Amino acid sequence: MKAADNDMNCENIKGQLTDWLNHNLTTTDRSEVEKHLIHCLHCQEEFAASRQVWEAMGQMKVPEPSQEMRVQFHAMLDTFKASEKAGHRFSFENLLGKIKSFALPQWSIQLAFSLLLVALGWVIGSKTSRPKIEASTYEQQIDMLAGQVQEMKSTMMLSLIENPSATERLRAVGYTSEITDADERVIEALFATLNNDPNVNVRLVTLEALTQFAKNPAVREGLVKSLAIQDSPMVQVALADVMVKMQEKGSVKALQSLLRKEDLNDLVKNKIEQSIKDLS
Amino acid sequence: MNSLTDNSLMLRVKAGDMDKMGLLFERHHRALFGFFYHMTHQKNTSEDLVQNVFYRMLKYRQTFTGEGEFRTWMYHLARNVLHDSVKQNKTLHHYDVNEMADHLAGGALADEGFEKQQDAEQLHKAMETLSSEHREVLVLSRFQELKYDEIANALNITEGTVKVRVHRALGELKKMFVKNESRR
Repeated sequence: MKAADNDMNCENIKGQLTDWLNHNLTTTDRSEVEKHLIHCLHCQEEFAASRQVWEAMGQMKVPEPSQEMRVQFHAMLDTFKASEKAGHRFSFENLLGKIKSFALPQWSIQLAFSLLLVALGWVIGSKTSRPKIEASTYEQQIDMLAGQVQEMKSTMMLSLIENPSATERLRAVGYTSEITDADERVIEALFATLNNDPNVNVRLVTLEALTQFAKNPAVREGLVKSLAIQDSPMVQVALADVMVKMQEKGSVKALQSLLRKEDLNDLVKNKIEQSIKDLS
Repeated sequence: MNSLTDNSLMLRVKAGDMDKMGLLFERHHRALFGFFYHMTHQKNTSEDLVQNVFYRMLKYRQTFTGEGEFRTWMYHLARNVLHDSVKQNKTLHHYDVNEMADHLAGGALADEGFEKQQDAEQLHKAMETLSSEHREVLVLSRFQELKYDEIANALNITEGTVKVRVHRALGELKKMFVKNESRR
């Protein structure tokens, strides 16, 4: 009976030897196994063999992974992030998430919060708008500042427009689109550019800038005069277009005289004839 | 030591802070490499497989709940990556000739640890003959030092099954090892 008991015990212990080796036993089980080993030679042998294999496994060497791995990992991470960003907008899950978050009771908190903000805005607004005199001085100051900015832009435009670089001159003309009401100096400078600039592109952009101020009769007159001066077919065509757009009947004469020019491009000729037809 | 646990890092990744994966890479790429190396005995393949695991972590980051250990989830993915790779090109049971030569050269050069190196060599061969089921539990338990419950979670089996498999695997290895020893 006792021998059978011991055999049973040995089977049990054998099953636990591996667990002993990889530290998967509780302290009580552990000491029980150890107690048994002291008395049982057979199990001792078994245990020694297991332990030998276990320890030999510990000797197995794993080479160092190469440094490239890290580089490759970060490359992969970057690519992944980029692709996620690209796919983000169209992600169905995201859309679902948004709908969900909208439908969830969370919206009530958001609504309460926005109502609070509106109320707060109203309170602040009613408090600050009371001193009306102060507000008007603010307005004055703002008007003054805006005027100064406009002034500065005009000055910049005027100083840039004489720059030898065509790019700078283009920039100068570009500034005029930000100037709401141009003074005489600006208009004058623009016309000087339109009529004398050696670069066709600069002249075309200037023409475009000038058409903004077409309500000004001086500008319309200047544009009509310019018809006789332009020699580039592109500018001539553009000018003819502007005349039609402005419905400037006074330009018909100038256009007709342009037709009489000797070295007129055929395309320009057709265009001008068409423009005259449109205007009269 | 680490102010941020693996789980909290992975949850940050899940929330969209992908750069946190860099920290997880630093912490775990060696261990993962070790796992694949023990499973395949091929250095280059193992490196590729490690990359693959990190890619899947990013791609399937939504499946990480943070309830279990990050490590368990990682080995679960690692095992799937290995499984897919085996299906594709029979990564397992394939000894790269050059790497084998490296092993042998390393073994012959080591003077003091010569015998131990020899043992390791024998074990390498013995482990090759184990079924992948047995090999993986042994590798996870012996080299990656996972607890039985962690292995059970990673492999979707019960803790009892893990215990039985580890025991059997070690038994088989012991038999083989002793056989090889006596032949030497």
